[in-house]
Amino acid sequence: MADLAHDLGHHDEHESLGVDNRKLAMWVFLASEFMFFGALISTYLLFKGKEGMAGPLPRELYDIPFTSVSSFVLLMSSLTMVLAHNALTRKDQPATRSWLLATALLGMVFIAGQFFEFATFIEEGMTMRTNAAASGFYLLTGFHGTHVLIGIIMLLSLFGISRRQGSLSGGQGLNLELVGLYWHFVDIIWIVIFTVVYLIP
Amino acid sequence: MSEPAQPEAHHHPSPRQYVQIALLLAVLTGIEVGLYYTEPTFGRLVTPALLILAAIKFGLVVGYYMHLKYEKRFLTGFFGAGFILAGLVYAVVLVSVLILPRFG
Repeated sequence: MADLAHDLGHHDEHESLGVDNRKLAMWVFLASEFMFFGALISTYLLFKGKEGMAGPLPRELYDIPFTSVSSFVLLMSSLTMVLAHNALTRKDQPATRSWLLATALLGMVFIAGQFFEFATFIEEGMTMRTNAAASGFYLLTGFHGTHVLIGIIMLLSLFGISRRQGSLSGGQGLNLELVGLYWHFVDIIWIVIFTVVYLIP
Repeated sequence: MSEPAQPEAHHHPSPRQYVQIALLLAVLTGIEVGLYYTEPTFGRLVTPALLILAAIKFGLVVGYYMHLKYEKRFLTGFFGAGFILAGLVYAVVLVSVLILPRFG
């Protein structure tokens, strides 16, 4: 996501390393988020195979075809996000708005899927308190879902600003770039969760 | 005075290439799911295969969608450091919880 603000004619002096400081801050923030999710994934992995825990384990309840579709939806939202960025680079404002909205909608589909999954698991008797593996699972996927939700709010905010102002330019262009980075990060975290938590035996 | 960043957007992939990457990501996800169901046949080979596929997907999104491939190198350093530290977190937890208690 290189220098969209420059492409849109927004030149400022918030640079010290040849990269806009806000973008640098976003990359550093995302790097720190690895640590956050690393801790949650570690916790889940430590408990997922532990013997003698009461109640159903997450692994016994996974619906892989359903989660695969959710993963596909989130992956495709990364495509629509990068197309929004590309459209803004070409100064195609209507297309930017459309792709932003498409990304937010795909994010909502993913969140709806997660709600459905949680509801099904609770119905099957696996709550946060059932066992340590269940707690780890809900914490990890719940925090990821929260990140998606925050991303959706940011996407809809950008969409609203674009509609109100008629275009995203200057600083708003950079904002789209930053939201894009955040959104793709949420996607790569899911790539890891889907493989490590759901698929690996 | 800092040197302003140069516009690099024209070096980025085209929309067509983005779609091709998305198709590749979808195919890789399909292979992952297929591998999951072959676990009874292939046993332990499935785990490394799944990790390799996840790493490829991860690299595609970070490199092409997040444009890290086209960014300044030190950003890769920042991002990579976060990823490595996350791995270390897991290693430390693993050692503390599973291995150290065995030695009293």
